[in-house]
Amino acid sequence: MKNERMIVEQNKSIAAKTHEMTLSGPLVAHLAQPGTFLHVAVPGDDLVLRRPISIAAVDRDAGTCTIVYKEEGEGTKRLSRCRAGDGVDVFGPLGKQGFPAEQPSPGDDVLIIGGGVGVPPLYFAARELAKRGVSVSVILGFQTAAAIFYERAFRELSGCEVRVMTNDGSNGHAGTVIDALNERPSPPDWLFACGPRGMLRAVETHGAHSKTNGYVSLEERMGCGIGVCFACVCETGDRASYRKICRDGPVFRFKEVVI
Amino acid sequence: MEVDPRLKVTLPGLTMKNPIMPASGCFAFGREYAELFDLSELGAVGIKGTTGDARFGNPTPRVAETPSGMLNAIGLQNPGAQAVRDEELPFLEGYDVPVLANVSGSTPEEYVHVVETLTDAPNVGAFELNISCPNVKEGGIHFGTAPGEAASLTEAVKAVSTKPVYVKLSPNVTDVTAIALAVEAAGADGLSLINTLVGMRIDAKTGKPVLANEKGGLSGPAVKPVALRMIHDIRQVTGLPIIGMGGIQSAEDVVEFLFAGADAVAVGTANFSNPFVCPTIIRELPAWLDQLGMESIGAFREQGVNI
Ligand SMILES: Cc1cc2nc3c(=O)[nH]c(=O)nc-3n(C[C@H](O)[C@H](O)[C@H](O)COP(=O)(O)OP(=O)(O)OC[C@H]3O[C@@H](n4cnc5c(N)ncnc54)[C@H](O)[C@@H]3O)c2cc1C
Ligand SMILES: Cc1cc2nc3c(=O)[nH]c(=O)nc-3n(C[C@H](O)[C@H](O)[C@H](O)COP(=O)(O)O)c2cc1C
Ligand code: FES
Repeated sequence: MKNERMIVEQNKSIAAKTHEMTLSGPLVAHLAQPGTFLHVAVPGDDLVLRRPISIAAVDRDAGTCTIVYKEEGEGTKRLSRCRAGDGVDVFGPLGKQGFPAEQPSPGDDVLIIGGGVGVPPLYFAARELAKRGVSVSVILGFQTAAAIFYERAFRELSGCEVRVMTNDGSNGHAGTVIDALNERPSPPDWLFACGPRGMLRAVETHGAHSKTNGYVSLEERMGCGIGVCFACVCETGDRASYRKICRDGPVFRFKEVVI
Repeated sequence: MEVDPRLKVTLPGLTMKNPIMPASGCFAFGREYAELFDLSELGAVGIKGTTGDARFGNPTPRVAETPSGMLNAIGLQNPGAQAVRDEELPFLEGYDVPVLANVSGSTPEEYVHVVETLTDAPNVGAFELNISCPNVKEGGIHFGTAPGEAASLTEAVKAVSTKPVYVKLSPNVTDVTAIALAVEAAGADGLSLINTLVGMRIDAKTGKPVLANEKGGLSGPAVKPVALRMIHDIRQVTGLPIIGMGGIQSAEDVVEFLFAGADAVAVGTANFSNPFVCPTIIRELPAWLDQLGMESIGAFREQGVNI
């Protein structure tokens, strides 16, 4: 965990209300696990809480990392106005449990399911898997054609097979990621998912199988991001205890917590 | 870090290297921040509000942002007094820093039980009675708004405590000095203030409250003027030690609190925006003393600068 003023190398719109920001700084050397996230301070003193944003890619040679964020409110709107050369106060990497991209072996059937702005951490995971020679099937779900991003980026990874679903059918296949999941002939060995809660709940219901190692990344409103404030708790699967999403997650095994 | 002797503050139960401590609920039990800096640098550590039994707290979302502040409705999630005694306090014993143990409860018996359980812990320097948590339905706020109840609770706790007792006052009252005087008469060794102000946010798109608990406690820079006013008012009527808090983010803010009449301060919400805020403020304080021509932190009191 480091707190540092990173430099914006690039900040551009890549889909409807969706922006990609590349940041540089020594903190990059500490970013290793897909699924972990950054706590980004938004320019302006009146916003006291940082914004949790997943790491979408790391380029160690270039000394940069990339985040992709959707304009949801004031914080992400202000981030979208940052220009190359600006400084952004970043704290991270946060989260102790990410997607275990180091575990699948080449030849394993690995499935990635991403919905909307849940896609970025999965792109990081897919890159790590591709680097290790593991091929992946990817199902991406978006509301509509204008919201799609990173389809090509995934396709460019070696061994990556991509299927895009849109709710309104304006691009790719009409339907949800669950429709695509259910069409698969056999359960995968590994399943990594990130997206809205409802989608994750359905992924767990339809994707849970004894041979599948399933993982989901969760979101919750955060205060501290490091486990001290108890804002981001969720119950464990047996409902006997709890986990903090910011510290114990944000990625959990299927059934580890109540989604 | 070098310890500047001018920053030293001695309060009942708390011998502090400097007047800075993290506020209860914003630092858990120290483990996480110990990964970021040496906790021995702090003047004291205020731990998470502790109840008799473990509490799971309120449904999520538990926090919401507000202009220059935030609302929280955590609902006193904590592992319970015995677990704090057995598992959390021993960890903090590894650091050279006294603990201000924040105590919460629904009944006077529960407060007494928590204090009995923690009072012999070697690193607990003093207790801070949270009689002002706005986030638990049957919670402490009830004790914090009625002078008589606040006084009898203070008396009950004093009867079993071997450590000094600070009473943490609620800002959600019309006359905070009345409560301060009542708990002073009941034997309180010090006061701490302010706790959060009850507030609410509503999602304009849905018309529904943003917090699952509907209401929450407002903290952060937005509450600083209220905190300063209350500390100032109480300083006019009592000489009891005061730990001031509410929106502190910088050494300059700390100086404002000392001028208002605080003897030491706690930093809460600012830890979330800047995880290194406490050590940063500690480093910056000596330059403020130089600039103001103050010999020590104690001089704010001794030189009678209180307005
Ligand atoms: C671990 C994690 C990873 C995330 N990764 C990404 C990502 O890669 N890309 C992306 O676009 N979004 C991501 N999000 C969601 C993102 O944090 C929110 O969209 C963002 O904080 C909204 O901020 P705002 O100021 O624009 O919205 P506002 O609604 O104005 O924010 C007000 C407050 O609510 C909080 N908040 C609002 N929505 C969310 C949310 N969905 N989750 C958590 N807090 C929220 C904000 O942080 C802020 O404190 C992630 C969330 C988490 C918890
Ligand atoms: C997330 C959160 C949790 C808190 N929990 C407690 C608590 O358990 N006991 C308590 O006495 N005060 C609690 N407080 C109040 C703080 O200790 C402090 O009085 C208040 O936040 C004002 O200071 P600040 O503006 O610097 O945060 C909590 C505050 C926050 C933001
Ligand atoms: S955000 Fe504070 S505990 Fe997770």
